[in-house]
Amino acid sequence: MRESGVAFFGTLTLHSLAMALVIGINIALNLRLLGFAPRIALPPFRSFFPLHWYGVVAISISGALLLCAYPAKALTNPVFYLKLVSLLSALAIARHFQTSVLQHEVAGDGSARIKMTASLSLILWAITITAGRFLAYTHSVLLASRFY
Amino acid sequence: MEFLLNFSQSTGIYGFMNSPWGWPVAESIHFLGLCLLIGTVGIFDLRMLGIGKGLSMAELHKLVPFGIAGYLLNVITGTMFLTTAPDQYLYNPAFQTKILFMLAAGINMTYFYTTTLAAVRITDPFDTASQRAKLIGSISLLCWIGVIVCGRLITYYRPPYYWCLWC
Repeated sequence: MRESGVAFFGTLTLHSLAMALVIGINIALNLRLLGFAPRIALPPFRSFFPLHWYGVVAISISGALLLCAYPAKALTNPVFYLKLVSLLSALAIARHFQTSVLQHEVAGDGSARIKMTASLSLILWAITITAGRFLAYTHSVLLASRFY
Repeated sequence: MEFLLNFSQSTGIYGFMNSPWGWPVAESIHFLGLCLLIGTVGIFDLRMLGIGKGLSMAELHKLVPFGIAGYLLNVITGTMFLTTAPDQYLYNPAFQTKILFMLAAGINMTYFYTTTLAAVRITDPFDTASQRAKLIGSISLLCWIGVIVCGRLITYYRPPYYWCLWC
């Protein structure tokens, strides 16, 4: 992984593309739930979720491969755990929206609780992106082999 | 080249980008901007291609201003990258290809707005878009995927490697 240019670059690119897809779908849904374009019907939004979860699978596989390439680099960096926690929390919110809010035609439109959750989701995605970017700059250990 | 670098230095961009967190902060905003674009324009393209039937395309189009905001964020942060290290971009085939994809996306979008948007707007939420709208949506998605892939390539192949046919 680490030494093959094509494999590493391909994985990194897949990770970026899948992140853009998943976060993009979440941004659209959250903007809608925050009250922008309020006449967009909610239930049909669920048709984007198969694509969304395929994207999550792609993120997980490519993320795991990148982790295998430089395990010590990520695992010794607290920013990595910040990214993981914010990612999992944001996905839990997405799952919650998919299984409850989007089941109903009106979905308690404008309810303060839904708007709060949607804002939280946007913040969590921004943290995930920023933490991901900072991972490349904040590592203190690149390879564990330096300890041998 | 001189001009770009002078611009960066005289506006303070150079100083910011060379500060400890300047570059990754700009990169994070750049990625957020691209997610805004994919989340609005990309979702609209996917709807034209037939995903999410029941969603009104006219209503979905109301989210596009957020995509434009994301695009502007990316033009600003992109200019910050380019002017701070112009030699890393101007001679980089990945950057050149990225600009071509952006140009193609721009032409495709102009064509869409002048010929197809009006008809798409009045399409029933449960109907499919016209063949032309589908073609435009696919081109748009492919262009933005190309932009992201080339964007990733910029940092990876610096200077150009064996894959560049014109270097």
